[in-house]
Amino acid sequence: MDYIVPDKVSTVADFFDDLNLAIFLASAFFTVAIVGAMLYFAFRYRAKSSNDITPRIEGNHLLEIVWTVVPTVVVVVIAWVGIVLREKMFEVSPNVIPIYVTAWKWAWEFRYPTGKRTSGQNAELVVPVNKPVKLVIASKDVIHSLFIPAVRIKQDAVPGQLKYMTFTALKTGEYPIFCAEYCGTRHSYMMAKLRVVSEEEFNTWVNTIPEKTMPKRILGKKLYTDLGCNACHSVESGVNLVGPSFYDVFGAQRNFKDGTSLTADENYILESILYPNKRVVQGFNENVMPSYEGRLSQEELMALVSFIVELKTAPKEELVEVVFEKDEKIDLEKMTPLERGKYLYSAKGCNACHSVDGSQLVGPSFKGLHGARREFADGSSVVADDSYIKDSILNPNARIVKGFVAAMPSYQGQLNEDDLAGIVEFIKSLK
Amino acid sequence: MASEAKTVEAGAPPVYHHIDPVNAYHASKLGMWLFLATEILLFSVLFSAFAVYNWMYFEYFHDAATKLDWRLGAINTAVLLFSSYTAAVAVYKAQISDNRGVVINFGISFLCGLIFLVIKYIEYSAKYEHGYFPGTSYWNSTEFSAHYKNYFGLYYTMTGLHALHVVIGMGVLLWVIGLARKNRFSSRYYTPVELGALYWHLVDLIWIFLFPLLYLID
Amino acid sequence: MGIHSYAVDEIGHLKENNYLNCDKSLRSWLFTLDHKRIALLYLASLLVFFFLGGLSAIFMRLHLYNVEKPLLSPDAYNVAFTFHGVLMIFLFIVPGIPAVLGNFLLPLMIGAKDVAFPRLNLLSLWIYWLGALVGIIGIINPVWILKYLQGSAISQWIPLDTGWTFYAPYSTSTGAGEGWGTIMMTLAAFILGFSSILTGLNFMVTIHRLRAPGLTWFKLPVFVWGIYATSAIQVLATPVVGITLLLLIVEKVFGIGIFDPAKGGDPILYQHFFWFYSHPVVYIMVLPAFGIIGEIIPVFSRKPIFGYTAVVFSSVGIAVVSFIVWAHHMYTSGMSPFSQAVFSATTFAVAVPTAIKVFNWVSTMYKGSIRFDPAMLYAMAFVFLFMIAGTSGIFLAVLGLDIFYHDTYFVVAHFHYTIQGGAVIGLIAGLHFWFPKITGRMYNPGVAKLAFWLIFLGFNVTFIPQFILGVQGMPRRYAFYLPEFEPMHRLSTFGTFFNAFGYTLAILNLAWSWAFSKVKAGANPYDALGLEWQAPSPPPHDNFVVPPNVEIGRYDYGVPVNLVAQKEVVRS
Repeated sequence: MDYIVPDKVSTVADFFDDLNLAIFLASAFFTVAIVGAMLYFAFRYRAKSSNDITPRIEGNHLLEIVWTVVPTVVVVVIAWVGIVLREKMFEVSPNVIPIYVTAWKWAWEFRYPTGKRTSGQNAELVVPVNKPVKLVIASKDVIHSLFIPAVRIKQDAVPGQLKYMTFTALKTGEYPIFCAEYCGTRHSYMMAKLRVVSEEEFNTWVNTIPEKTMPKRILGKKLYTDLGCNACHSVESGVNLVGPSFYDVFGAQRNFKDGTSLTADENYILESILYPNKRVVQGFNENVMPSYEGRLSQEELMALVSFIVELKTAPKEELVEVVFEKDEKIDLEKMTPLERGKYLYSAKGCNACHSVDGSQLVGPSFKGLHGARREFADGSSVVADDSYIKDSILNPNARIVKGFVAAMPSYQGQLNEDDLAGIVEFIKSLK
Repeated sequence: MASEAKTVEAGAPPVYHHIDPVNAYHASKLGMWLFLATEILLFSVLFSAFAVYNWMYFEYFHDAATKLDWRLGAINTAVLLFSSYTAAVAVYKAQISDNRGVVINFGISFLCGLIFLVIKYIEYSAKYEHGYFPGTSYWNSTEFSAHYKNYFGLYYTMTGLHALHVVIGMGVLLWVIGLARKNRFSSRYYTPVELGALYWHLVDLIWIFLFPLLYLID
Repeated sequence: MGIHSYAVDEIGHLKENNYLNCDKSLRSWLFTLDHKRIALLYLASLLVFFFLGGLSAIFMRLHLYNVEKPLLSPDAYNVAFTFHGVLMIFLFIVPGIPAVLGNFLLPLMIGAKDVAFPRLNLLSLWIYWLGALVGIIGIINPVWILKYLQGSAISQWIPLDTGWTFYAPYSTSTGAGEGWGTIMMTLAAFILGFSSILTGLNFMVTIHRLRAPGLTWFKLPVFVWGIYATSAIQVLATPVVGITLLLLIVEKVFGIGIFDPAKGGDPILYQHFFWFYSHPVVYIMVLPAFGIIGEIIPVFSRKPIFGYTAVVFSSVGIAVVSFIVWAHHMYTSGMSPFSQAVFSATTFAVAVPTAIKVFNWVSTMYKGSIRFDPAMLYAMAFVFLFMIAGTSGIFLAVLGLDIFYHDTYFVVAHFHYTIQGGAVIGLIAGLHFWFPKITGRMYNPGVAKLAFWLIFLGFNVTFIPQFILGVQGMPRRYAFYLPEFEPMHRLSTFGTFFNAFGYTLAILNLAWSWAFSKVKAGANPYDALGLEWQAPSPPPHDNFVVPPNVEIGRYDYGVPVNLVAQKEVVRS
């Protein structure tokens, strides 16, 4: 069999080939035995005359039980080993190098956390030898399938979902990669190369980045503040605002309100961005987070996912930047109150829940808020003046306006008097 | 469902070369039940697709369901339930050789089917005016989420396929009414009446599942 | 047709009318209610599509002989494998054995004059023709013809390129056939599904209600059991794929997102629905073939089938289990590991009843008196080919191995061993075996044996290299391949020609013998013990001249006591 099978490159390849050979030998044995018996009977009992006398044998219970039980036992064993092999194939080791794979008609793209990327005709999956890697696989159009015979694994790329593949390459060299799911005209040419290199070579290669390519993580970080995710999700360990901290999500066990649970992977993160209320983690509220379905491109979604996934592994200074919003060009003290309010509106992530155009997100729109009568869930009401607005920012859950849920975190200690005055000015300006 | 019928006298079962009349009756009924099983499987795919998407996008689905007028749906449910009752009465009438009774009761069922379709038409045209219909400008606008399209797509597919079954069922009723007007049925032979009624019950049954699923999920 | 009276000569030949010569007008054929004529009309139609499907396979193999100087463009290759799949599956092998041999033999084997609903039977045939017509219009495509007349090049004719599986979102987004090819072909498959449902329904009712009085369930021939299990699958699984394809059409025509993620749908759901039918459908193809082999081997071994009850229950068992294995086509689509393990386990549950069948067939030959008629050669070849089909199926059922083998040539080879080596060989074996009953004549056995060896060897030379290609990691549906795959592809192409030539020879031999052979067969040329051999050859319109006596054991009809002596009855 070794003459036929493709190069053995991955840790599971040996297991795969051994199982393959064992089943082949068992199959060959049974086939030769049964067909041999048939041919022997055919020769031994061939008709001598047209009046041959034959015994009337209708069955034999013992024999029939034996040939029911023996195959049953054999297939149970084989099935079990097959399941074990599959488990081994998809076992993700810790500290694995993530690589983002995107498929489209008719090309592959491989992106690395450093921003290094190869695609199209030159698509190359470069991996270090003896180091586990994890491929996160997406598709832009139809279903494709990433097939690397040398590592004995294949995984479909399904549009709208993220899939994984993991392996550890054991031998340097170049091996073919195919698209295995039919995808149209140039399906048969949708190939790429797996290049296994030494660790030093990999490090040099992956850090040689042409200018102007922004790592997905950095784009994700930008979106994290631009979209106002930061209003509800911190990036510090253990700090839960309205929603769970991003730092603790990836790879952690998530227990949901419906009693189910799972280990958070890339697809779960994507799902939570697109359909946040499908599964809500225990201890958090339903229907607080709006769906981002249709509001973000595939590229932006992948960027957010990689930002969250790589939080723990990303260089520290990047993180600091995210948490404290350090931007040298912005000096709050030099701004007018209105400018300051407008800036804080997006910097603090108010924009995630409060619109400025009258549309209702999680919280009430800021448009026309100042001076309007607010009716509360407890039946009381008040006209929204400056002090009411300041109070709602510092103690948001003291009084809840009818039709909304208590979802907003308090900004006590995060905003000073001038900040608050600025935000009030900003809201006043929205008539 | 049978071959080479040769009418001998009014009310007598048809004569076949390959099967005797009693067996023909049982065979036809068995065949009809098997056919109903395939119909139910046909719809069960739509039900499971609906269940899957309702689970995946329940906010959208619950919201979209409020756009339907449950009152019209309820009226239609009542109309079909009543028509099933008259269909059952028609079978009884045939069994006591009352061909006129078959004509009247199946006639009522037929009219109920017609009322059902008219109400369905009113519902569809209201949806069309609101722009919840494929091809309208609102439907094609970005405001209209893909998951609303999911819901309404399944809504039109399911109710449309059901309406098609109503139309086919009405055709069957009409055919049986025609035979009853020629006094073809008697206590000795009423297979077409029974099969027609069975089919009509199926049409009713499917609606009984569709109504709460589509109109009342909120 | 009324009441006939018949006279039979000494070898069981009708002196007067049989079903073939009672009325020879074209109208009497197109509007016939006789199950035997309907069977022959199906046979003629199926052979047309078998030929066309085979032709597209030859184009594919010729193209793959040398991809450096390709015969076809990539698009044309995609069209060729789509044609091959769609024609062979929906128009040839799914109706296949039930529509031809099932229709012809079922009433004869249960002592009935016809199926339960003869008019419905004719309607099924017409629906089949309608489906075929819609498919052909979809392929020829009036919209494209219009474009062609306006000067479009023939190389731009891409009527259909989805593969027979119509996977979304490729099928919902492809522009092939000016956007209409996929719609027309899925509509055709939907219509053909109705033909299949109505045939299955008809057969089930026939077996339930039309057995001759005294013919109890466990006296039924194994072929009837095979047909019964098949019919149950046809009735219960076909509606699922019908509505799924309808949803695909709705999605494509109205832009409603059911399976396309760009429109909010879920493409994996399509695969679940599709395989819920399309896995059981392989048992629609192959269960009746099991039945045929179970009829042939006892006759040419001059022995009753070994372990009748086990053979019967394994057919029913396979039919039941076939409904819970569908997701083994989707191991690489990213289902949860638990579901994968469950579907792997259920898949293995199919292996056991299949193995039991093989053991029973071989044991039937033990201490027999074996004659090597062409039908018996086909039956023995079936056992060999099906062993390979079954054991290669084990590789695909093993979860970890299928992750590699899925969508490679290994799957292609496995599928062809089951369907060509199983269903098609079974059909050809059955056609040879019952040829005397159908036509009243004998075929030329020498030519039949030559054709058999061409088919057998050609088939193995075609598909064993494809197993090797699969092990090497060659993906399927590729119009192009890397140099390391070339030798096996070339060998495979060689085999195809022997295979195709063998089928052509076998079918021409039967056709020629029917038209020109002078050798009359008689009612029971093989000294067989099945009920169908008690009717004259060819049978009259009502099948039996005198109502058959079935108040005896199974397979005991017309036992020439001096030949099959009850010397030694072994039961345990």
